[in-house]
Amino acid sequence: MSKNGTAKIIFQPSGRRGEVEKGINIIEASRRIGVDIETLCGEKMVCGKCKVRIEEGSFEKFGVVSSRDHVSQWHEEEGKFITPDQKEAGYRLACAAEVTGDLLIFVPEESRAGKQVVSKAARDIEIKWNPAVKIYTVTLIPPTFEDPLGDFERMTQALEKEHGLKGLNIDWFTLRDLPNIIRKDEWTVTAAVWMDREIIKVWPGKVEDYYGIAIDVGTTTVAAYFCNMRTMEVLDTVSMMNPQCKYGEDVMARITYHMQNPGGLERMSDDLIEGLNDLIKKACEGTHPPKKKKKDKNGKIVKDEDGQPVMMEAPEKGKTYLRLEPSDIVDLTMGGNTAMHHILLKLDPQYVGLAPFPPVVHRSLDIRARDLGININESSNIFVMPNEAGFVGADNVCVLVTEKPHMSDELQLIIDIGTNGELVLGNKDKLISSSCATGPALEGAQLAFGMRAAPGAIERIKIDPETHEVDYKVIGRDAWLKYSKPEDMKTKGICGSGVLDVLAELYRTGVVEKSGRFSKNQKSNRFRKNPDNPRQKEFVIAWANETSIGKDVVITQKDIRQIQLGKGALYTGCKLMMRRMGIDNVDKIKIAGAFGTHVAKDKALIMGLFPDCDLDNVMSVGNAAGDGARVVLLNRAMRDEANWLSRNVEYIELTVEKDFEQEFMESMQIPHMKDEFPHLKDLVPEEILHQK
Amino acid sequence: MGKEELREELLKQLHEGVVEFEEDQVKEAAQRVLDEGLNAYDAVMNGLAAGMQEVGDLYDQHEYFVPEMLMAADALYVGLDILRPHITLADLGDKPKGQVVIGTVQGDVHDIGKNIIKMMFEVAGFTVHDLGRDVPLEKFVEEQLNTDSEIVALSAMMTTTMMGMEKVIKMIKEKNPNVAIMLGGAPVTSDTADLFGADGYAESAGNAVQEAIKMIGRLREMQAK
Repeated sequence: MSKNGTAKIIFQPSGRRGEVEKGINIIEASRRIGVDIETLCGEKMVCGKCKVRIEEGSFEKFGVVSSRDHVSQWHEEEGKFITPDQKEAGYRLACAAEVTGDLLIFVPEESRAGKQVVSKAARDIEIKWNPAVKIYTVTLIPPTFEDPLGDFERMTQALEKEHGLKGLNIDWFTLRDLPNIIRKDEWTVTAAVWMDREIIKVWPGKVEDYYGIAIDVGTTTVAAYFCNMRTMEVLDTVSMMNPQCKYGEDVMARITYHMQNPGGLERMSDDLIEGLNDLIKKACEGTHPPKKKKKDKNGKIVKDEDGQPVMMEAPEKGKTYLRLEPSDIVDLTMGGNTAMHHILLKLDPQYVGLAPFPPVVHRSLDIRARDLGININESSNIFVMPNEAGFVGADNVCVLVTEKPHMSDELQLIIDIGTNGELVLGNKDKLISSSCATGPALEGAQLAFGMRAAPGAIERIKIDPETHEVDYKVIGRDAWLKYSKPEDMKTKGICGSGVLDVLAELYRTGVVEKSGRFSKNQKSNRFRKNPDNPRQKEFVIAWANETSIGKDVVITQKDIRQIQLGKGALYTGCKLMMRRMGIDNVDKIKIAGAFGTHVAKDKALIMGLFPDCDLDNVMSVGNAAGDGARVVLLNRAMRDEANWLSRNVEYIELTVEKDFEQEFMESMQIPHMKDEFPHLKDLVPEEILHQK
Repeated sequence: MGKEELREELLKQLHEGVVEFEEDQVKEAAQRVLDEGLNAYDAVMNGLAAGMQEVGDLYDQHEYFVPEMLMAADALYVGLDILRPHITLADLGDKPKGQVVIGTVQGDVHDIGKNIIKMMFEVAGFTVHDLGRDVPLEKFVEEQLNTDSEIVALSAMMTTTMMGMEKVIKMIKEKNPNVAIMLGGAPVTSDTADLFGADGYAESAGNAVQEAIKMIGRLREMQAK
């Protein structure tokens, strides 16, 4: 409930929130809160670019009850852009709908002015070719009166004779296609065989290349790697926001949504599956020539009966297009954290959210694509990665099959940073894992000016130790502030990688003390008491004239505390695991997660994200979870290995470890209350590093 | 130095010692209180507890954080351990402030926040019955009935376990509608507290005790009617 006269607004998927006075339209609200919605026509209900969806229901996590009745009445003009179906689903034009109460508003991709930067590109990793789905071509002798054997048996006999495949089965859906396909190209046929066991697709004639997709379902971002299964080449990487974001930003919020709303689990699952189908379609569209509007001889755009422009293909010269369809995809593998895994498969996730957090299932699953409603080749099986524990899921198994710490002599510490941090430590002798609640602060959420990685987000910061003046860089602009006109920065907030920089720089330059408290020794007017709340101290990172939101972007004392909690949780996790293994240092630290790619190693060490080590031994391994899904797509032996790993990594619940409280407390300080950091010697001035 | 001056001086040392987490200073001052024959209860309430209240206030302003809070608590307990055995029944003449049942709800194993709140209650003179963490929901009801506590304080760090709070509130209110229930923990907001039918919500440690005192006040008014 909000005070009279104001309403609480939360925008998804950005997660930005705030209170605004009632009576303003949603566009205005979005501006005040720092969300960009497209407005080409200047809020005149003419362009239809600002479509948003008003969510219906009670969202405990955000403390709002959102309703379609909490906006002003429907305008007839909106009907020009919003179909009756969309209207039914809660769509409105943001310029037409005025706020009359609390709202949770979903801004669809096409209405967002600043597009999210998703960094989940595929890395070069070594994979041994041995996919679960292999293809075989055979040429059959046509049936005669002397040899009237059935089509299926005729084909399997040949497959056995020529390729040694014994006892093959066939999926009913594929069997129905068989008689016509087998006769289409003079009795030559190519069969896709799953696990040497079952025929899941037949093509007429000889086929060489075939395709699969590996998907990493993250809490926030979903990434798909579209692969040629013969050459192992990644044709394309496509990604999207997880459509479940609207039900809550973190896994706990989604589990809660399921517990509170009948049918919530099905709704979240269906939304994700619909999203996955769109993503698969998008990946396939990339193999077709681009389209453009058809023009007649006079250069005028040709329109169809409904007045819509007619589209035509515009292939680039000399380029060949594969022109693939979703039904050409014969295998799909999927990894994600345990909650995402359960919600996708409609397995009740509530017990994952309660101590001692047991998952419904550990082992991997093979689920028929059509049973899940995923639109690829309908006989195909979807391979779902196994789970380690309630908070160390299939995504972590993906990381392990990619990084292979169980094959290495070196002691590795693998840190997968997300809303929930997952840690693995060990080598070929022993592996342990744990999770820690790093919270959303490390990703930039829930800070006064936190935001996701999108244009306008501060990603790098430098503070001058002499003057405490700030220089920074935002996503979407190469030039730092120093080399820019202030008004060109169009700063909006601070994203995850910026968050680490901020704390490291504030500490290094003495703006904040080791304890995280603002120092008494300030050198600039950037440090101040919040004009509206004098009890809240803050430090201005960007002045209002550098922003597109017309407000100073600040980091508050409370923000710093949030970051300290997150980094403290991660550090404590690392340290307690090292203690469990009886070691003082590790040979290698690997930082995974889309976030990992952007982390400046030195900044991470300065702020004390993990125990002291030589920076040369710290490496970023990018989106290892997505890479792992690709590994099992192309190498079926790794599927067994994944199952083995999921049961042979010992999971440790950190919060019940001895001294957790003491360790956690010490780890909240920068870089740590007591632990030594010899490797910071040249990075942090002596008097700062050894302050009391 | 006159006796009153000495008292002032020692109270100041105890107070400062807690705020600056100087365990040695607290230890020395507490010992001198006893050696000089000063009132131990006075030293606890106007020295140590007053210091802890300042710490609570600094915490509310985000000036102090969990580490400082816990270090101050260590200093506080050093003093309490020395002084408490010398507090007489006569000192406690005015009624104790109240009793609190506190715990982290079932399914949740986080208890740092709960421990800080517990300490603030103790400092403020409440008798605290700490049930620990991952506490079965019925246990709160039982303990409240056994101790006849005025307040039940529930903590949860996860959204999923927060949902258990709603059930506990219902269970307790059914048995005993006059108990004041307060909620705290990261996912809890004053809106959730309202929604679940709790009587109070503690945004932070300092605020918890004041909220509790207010709740008891309301409770007594209701009973007086």
